[in-house]
Amino acid sequence: MIDGTKVIDFHGHVGRWDKYGMIDDPALFLHAMDAVGIDVACLFNIFHPDGATANDLAARFIAQHPDRFVGFAYVSPLMPERMLPELARAIDELKFVAIKLYPPYTPWPLNQAPWHPIYQFAHERGQTIIFHTGPEPQSLPKFVGEIAPHYPQANFVIGHSGNTPDERTQAIAAAQANPNVYLETCSTFRTPGVIEQLVNEAGADRVLYGSDMPLMDPRSQIGKIITATISDEAKRQILGSNACRLLGL
Amino acid sequence: MTTLNFKPRVPVFDANIRVGDSYDAPSPCPNQAALLAEMDRHGIARAVIYHAQTEEISPIDGNHFLETWLGDARLTPQWSVLPTAASLAQIERLHGQNRVSSVRLHDTRSAGLPFRPWAYDKLLTWLSTHQIPLWIPLPNTDADELVTTLQGHPELVTVLVGAHYVHHLQVRPLLAALPNAYLELSRYEPIGEMEALRDEFGARRLLYGSWYPRYAMGTMLFYLHHTNLSEDELALVCAGNLERILDG
Repeated sequence: MIDGTKVIDFHGHVGRWDKYGMIDDPALFLHAMDAVGIDVACLFNIFHPDGATANDLAARFIAQHPDRFVGFAYVSPLMPERMLPELARAIDELKFVAIKLYPPYTPWPLNQAPWHPIYQFAHERGQTIIFHTGPEPQSLPKFVGEIAPHYPQANFVIGHSGNTPDERTQAIAAAQANPNVYLETCSTFRTPGVIEQLVNEAGADRVLYGSDMPLMDPRSQIGKIITATISDEAKRQILGSNACRLLGL
Repeated sequence: MTTLNFKPRVPVFDANIRVGDSYDAPSPCPNQAALLAEMDRHGIARAVIYHAQTEEISPIDGNHFLETWLGDARLTPQWSVLPTAASLAQIERLHGQNRVSSVRLHDTRSAGLPFRPWAYDKLLTWLSTHQIPLWIPLPNTDADELVTTLQGHPELVTVLVGAHYVHHLQVRPLLAALPNAYLELSRYEPIGEMEALRDEFGARRLLYGSWYPRYAMGTMLFYLHHTNLSEDELALVCAGNLERILDG
């Protein structure tokens, strides 16, 4: 909790990526989370296209501290026949609470047909999907703006808010045009004024704190929110109340 | 305890601030007054500043532009340098005026000149002789060149700037191979690394820098204040180490 607000980190990974110092040790996670008052971290594993391997690894990690971690289901259109059964298993049996998609690991831009069964699933289930977005041709945020109107019962979170300036403009436009589009804040590009831009142009009720833990420490990434020139109420919305509403936590 | 608003508990001396417009990115901070106001907002007392024009265009011209940002005791100039006679002559003149407390390496690798002894020994020998520390941006360097060349100048103090998670495998070997090297922290975010590097190398090897306006000024400062560094260690990382380095 920070000043009475439950804090949710909307973007975290399970799985090691040793060359970049990404170590999924729950003790490291909890040490960093406790140091800044993060109550719950949303976690997913994106390294296995079958989905099941990734989700089982995430579930085992989360089970060590089920009061502090929640899972997001991962699937990939690289193995299309596995997508919908695995989504159903992850959500119904593993009790994961949202879906994570990572277009750069596929050849398909996220507005193309191979992804649509996932969007339809989310629409029918009232689920939230967080995408990696950025300047990669598969990951442009404008595509989220294209798909969101067609699946109004789903919510779409633009991970990294596009990451770079042109893509951030696309992300904000997608949120402005669609009530079911949200913007998530983690980025290695900690450009001054970005949090203020997201709040001023999309609204504080549409922005979600995320860290990309453990690739990036949640303490530096939450520092972007705390030290931004925005109202305390906006900080509360970004740090937790928006995520709690979206995920039903 | 974390609150919605943050101010540092210890005096802060930022080791890495860029001023002025670069050719492709106008600065959000137009002048000295705006910079000091941003520092005040984050509770930063002093800063080492260099000019954006020195990065990609000209260290010599950029150092001239830096002059317009000086004149306040809170701002310490950092002059940029490359291994040419004209650049070294400029630094020697400034040094003769007692105005050089550190210099920053201009990237010559992009122009085909590697950071090798045959290209850099003269400059590095001069810096070492005059006990002037050298800031080296890691994004522009080759780790093998760094170690090979700097091991020939063991007395030279260096500050390795801008390590990112893509440099993760380099950080520990560099600090181990170069006992007079310090790590500036503006971009280094893998989980738990502040405490881990403190444990392995000591807080005396770490420096707070924001690299503002490339990055927001307060983020890493907030992070450092939410580690398990002791208050003494925090004070060293946020200011004490930089003061010691600049004092020679």
